[in-house]
Amino acid sequence: MNATVATTLRARLDALPSQSLLGTQEYFVNMGPQHPSTHGVLRLVLKLDGETVHQVIPVLGYIHRGIEKICEHSNYRQLVHLTDRMDYLSALANNWAATMVVEKAAAMETNSRIEAIRTLVTELQRIHSHQLWWGVFGMDLGAFTPFFYGFRDREILTDVFERTIGGRLTMNYIQPGGVMHDIHPELVADVKAFLAVFKPRLDEYEALLSENVIVQERLRGVGVLTAQDAVALGATGPVLRASGVAHDLRKAEPYGLYGQVAFDVPVGSRGDCWDRYAVRMQEMRQSIRIVEQLLDNIPEGKHFLVKPAAKIKVKPGVWYSHLETARGVLGAMLVSTGGEAPYRVHFRTPNFNNLWAVTTTATGGRVADLVAILSSLDLVIPDIDR
Amino acid sequence: MGLVTDNLPGALLPLPGGGALLTAIDQVVNWSRANSLWPLTFGTSCCAIEVMMATGAARHDLARFGAEVARPSPRQADLLIIAGTIVKKMAPRLRTLWEQMAEPRYVIATGSCAISGGPFLYHSYTTIRGADEVIPVDVYVPGCPPRPEALLYGLLTLQKMIREGTTLARPGEVRKPVLAALPDGMTLHQVRAEIAELVQETATVDRAAAATVGASYASASRV
Repeated sequence: MNATVATTLRARLDALPSQSLLGTQEYFVNMGPQHPSTHGVLRLVLKLDGETVHQVIPVLGYIHRGIEKICEHSNYRQLVHLTDRMDYLSALANNWAATMVVEKAAAMETNSRIEAIRTLVTELQRIHSHQLWWGVFGMDLGAFTPFFYGFRDREILTDVFERTIGGRLTMNYIQPGGVMHDIHPELVADVKAFLAVFKPRLDEYEALLSENVIVQERLRGVGVLTAQDAVALGATGPVLRASGVAHDLRKAEPYGLYGQVAFDVPVGSRGDCWDRYAVRMQEMRQSIRIVEQLLDNIPEGKHFLVKPAAKIKVKPGVWYSHLETARGVLGAMLVSTGGEAPYRVHFRTPNFNNLWAVTTTATGGRVADLVAILSSLDLVIPDIDR
Repeated sequence: MGLVTDNLPGALLPLPGGGALLTAIDQVVNWSRANSLWPLTFGTSCCAIEVMMATGAARHDLARFGAEVARPSPRQADLLIIAGTIVKKMAPRLRTLWEQMAEPRYVIATGSCAISGGPFLYHSYTTIRGADEVIPVDVYVPGCPPRPEALLYGLLTLQKMIREGTTLARPGEVRKPVLAALPDGMTLHQVRAEIAELVQETATVDRAAAATVGASYASASRV
């Protein structure tokens, strides 16, 4: 090497602070919008130092479809079907949230049969949703078997829905004034057959995944969300309950028949990924309890109280109502200026608030932990963007 | 005769002249391509659950048709299954993903949203009215979302197209899209024109009416 060049280089290196010679550099990596672990088109901008996450910046809007705006052009019956496409894994709870606010605004009445059917199918869908989450959660941790097991059992429940409702995923079943169709005569027998299969399998799931040492090591102490942070972020559902806050609208403000059935609200203690996992596993068992209590006690009566073609009119005003989906509190706000269409509709969706937990919990951890944290939050991206 | 003649259709098809070997290779290559499609994991919304997940899972088992090797990287995939709504912010990304895929590449548009905008056709200010506005689509699978069986039918249709489709001799030649769901006597051009008209209509704002509604909202009492 030329002596002059070598001397200059040496001088330059000596001039640098010693740390930056051996130290590392922060860099940015885009995770998404096309990524298998973000469960949709969520984009996370990651500020990394090696494998360590320094900052997570969520970028939204890759599936913003303007559902709230389209609702302004729909009448009160039509807007229900759009809610299916927000949180499609809790389509029935979304239908119910929209229905509930319309029924409140238009002062429509329901009967106990309608409420029982709504509670029953929504609770079944909570199991349906958690089954999918369990399968995908296992897949994100690197185990492919849970995905097949989860979907194998989920298909049985999908058949039950299909028989009564007609849809496999987007239901559009719960309507202002009742439910679209009366339950299938075989529904009760079908659900009992499903529970007979599913209850032992839930124990099998626990043995397969929950008692797995690798899974426990990857989840315990990872992504800790404190109760204060969870409340400050407005997180709800299993994410909030895993942090130790026993808030569940089914208990706090009972709607449907939740006031008449016995069930517990599973609560975590540390708010880590393991607690979020355990809370959802317990919730499935509680949902089974609720379903078993309702199955043999569905009251007689009509399933739809208004004429299907009747136009719903709402007097001017503002209404809000909320309920608990599989992911947390879904609120629906309605502003009316009178007439057959709303002036403004807004949905307070659970995933939007739960998403921001990733910004605090993933910081300081590893990239692999970030995937576990994202999956433990159980996000549905179209519900965030609407 | 043997394994080759039974399982590789047309491999030993006798044709006069030097073109015989080329034709036979075309058929073998297309047969192989049709039976080893690697889909890209691309799901934007509801259809992803039915089309990407349920179809690949235990009951419906996409592996029966040789298309279960879902790759997260477009560079390793040759089949793009558009599962879900494409909005304005996502459209350039979809285009990038498609361009990153190696040729020959195939596209299946599943669900109403990817076909025409679906439930978001009217009054949506972000939805792309059909993914074929952004990239060329080979097969359309209708439904909202389509059943897994519908995707399997779409996949079989695509396999049929590939077997009869592009040749090595004329690489640019592509068969026209299959429009199974279109009524008799209606062309894709007519559908596009109709959608464009609807979009134009909903994009227009009646300012006078909007002012009236705003005034009545201001006077509305809070209940």
